Amino acid sequence: MNLTRKAQKLLTENLSMEDALPTKMPVYVNSAAYLFGVTALSAFGVLILTGLVLAVFGPRWYHVSGAGHFVNSLHFWGVQIFFGSILLHVLTKFFMAAWRDGRWRTWFVGVLIFGVAVFTGLTGYLSQTNWDSQWISVQAKDAMNAMGIGAFFNTMDTAQVLTLHVAVLPFLVAVLVGMHLFLIRRDGPVKPFGMDAGKPQKRENGGEHEPAN
Amino acid sequence: MSRQTDRYFSGIPMKSYDLLKEGLIMMMVIAAIIVVLAIIFGSPDYTPVRSQDVAARQPVAYLKTCAKALAGQSGIEGYGPPYTPDTDNAQDLFGVVPSELFGVTIPIHPAEDFVIAPLRRLAILDEKVDSALNEYLLAPPPQQKEWAAAYLGALDKAAFADRQVNIPAGEYGPVPALMDGMLALGKAGLLEGALESGPSLPYTMNFTKSLLFFQDDVDHGVARSLDMLGEQWGISHETGPYPGAWWLWPYTFLYQIPPMSVSPNGDLQAAAIMMVVFLIMLLVPFIPVLNRIPRWIGVHRIIWRDWYQRMQSKI
Repeated sequence: MNLTRKAQKLLTENLSMEDALPTKMPVYVNSAAYLFGVTALSAFGVLILTGLVLAVFGPRWYHVSGAGHFVNSLHFWGVQIFFGSILLHVLTKFFMAAWRDGRWRTWFVGVLIFGVAVFTGLTGYLSQTNWDSQWISVQAKDAMNAMGIGAFFNTMDTAQVLTLHVAVLPFLVAVLVGMHLFLIRRDGPVKPFGMDAGKPQKRENGGEHEPAN
Repeated sequence: MSRQTDRYFSGIPMKSYDLLKEGLIMMMVIAAIIVVLAIIFGSPDYTPVRSQDVAARQPVAYLKTCAKALAGQSGIEGYGPPYTPDTDNAQDLFGVVPSELFGVTIPIHPAEDFVIAPLRRLAILDEKVDSALNEYLLAPPPQQKEWAAAYLGALDKAAFADRQVNIPAGEYGPVPALMDGMLALGKAGLLEGALESGPSLPYTMNFTKSLLFFQDDVDHGVARSLDMLGEQWGISHETGPYPGAWWLWPYTFLYQIPPMSVSPNGDLQAAAIMMVVFLIMLLVPFIPVLNRIPRWIGVHRIIWRDWYQRMQSKI
């Protein structure tokens, strides 16, 4: 078995250059509803950049430095825009039933991103080393302990939550976002309802085509 | 396009598009919005609760916290896993107790960890505390608790004047001297360091004990003043006029309604409901009825209105 050949085949069969970097798009892609994904991605980029700066200077920096406080403010508002965009993105994709025609994997990975992002946000709040992190850690511990997770995830262990927040979880989000983008570009935007009325068909990648209304 | 997308988009009119240009423009717009928000509004950073402040400004509350730990009345006493072995208070759901799975992984002995251990350190510097601690430790445990409980009760009648806490005379044994020592540790700002004793010192980055120490009366008092208690939507609130973790509202909402709001198993019930909701979200493409809702509510007609108008005009 030649792994390189298999990888080549996987990429060439699933992602042409026009798929990855499209220069044309179906005319039905013509709504602000299509912008929320890239809005979330942009906010994620800001979070990574500002998070890197905060990580370089350490968790106490933003409490004592004006520049640090400003970078923290960028991070704070980046989080708000990120979750706002995700909410709108998920809602619009739900209204479009964007999982149709074999795109359930894209939906599935997207929901996973949301779940991991919520947990990343929690560890961010716990890493602030201020009143918020004190209160949230003693409050959140009860839910973690009740689920048994508290045995190995201690909300009051600043080293653990900070490491999770700046390394492990962002890496996981980035990997999932990469998979999400791959699936989006591979499959292209789903058709509007009613385009193939009464003609259920099998897609090449195994996904089913739902009967349209 | 690839073989796959060629087939999918077959017969559909295409328009010119520039992914990178659109992406870069959106990224710049979003970055600009975030910069403007950060410049105008800044971000919250509320000062943490520190033993130094609590000991100086609320000495009675501080001493009550210490005396409760010594008298076996700390909130962590009998909490269950992962702090204590007893499981009477461990949360269960339909007879399942997940916290029992891993047992005690972060052992906490409130009297020893919150009071005796810090005083052992202070005793090296203070002979009065040293002799009081020796007397206390040599007494039988029931006697120790009796002294601590009596002192705790007396704190309700304590007077605070001239930076001193004066309590009515009573049978407290060496406890007042121990409490003076704890108050001195707090006023000096040394309590947190003394609490986090362990083999990793001085590289302590785990604040479990110092956070658990103040979690009951002191932290709840601060949280109440900031509208951050659990029954006030708790951790989804932010200090000051800032948006909090509003994406947790569905979760914190569960704590506002029965049975979660009144049940001792509320945390586990809320967590279980959220897990089910998350699973439903994951699997919605495959769940009958749910996966048809988008067709019925018709928001897609707004999103794809140009396309549907185009189709209408062709008919």
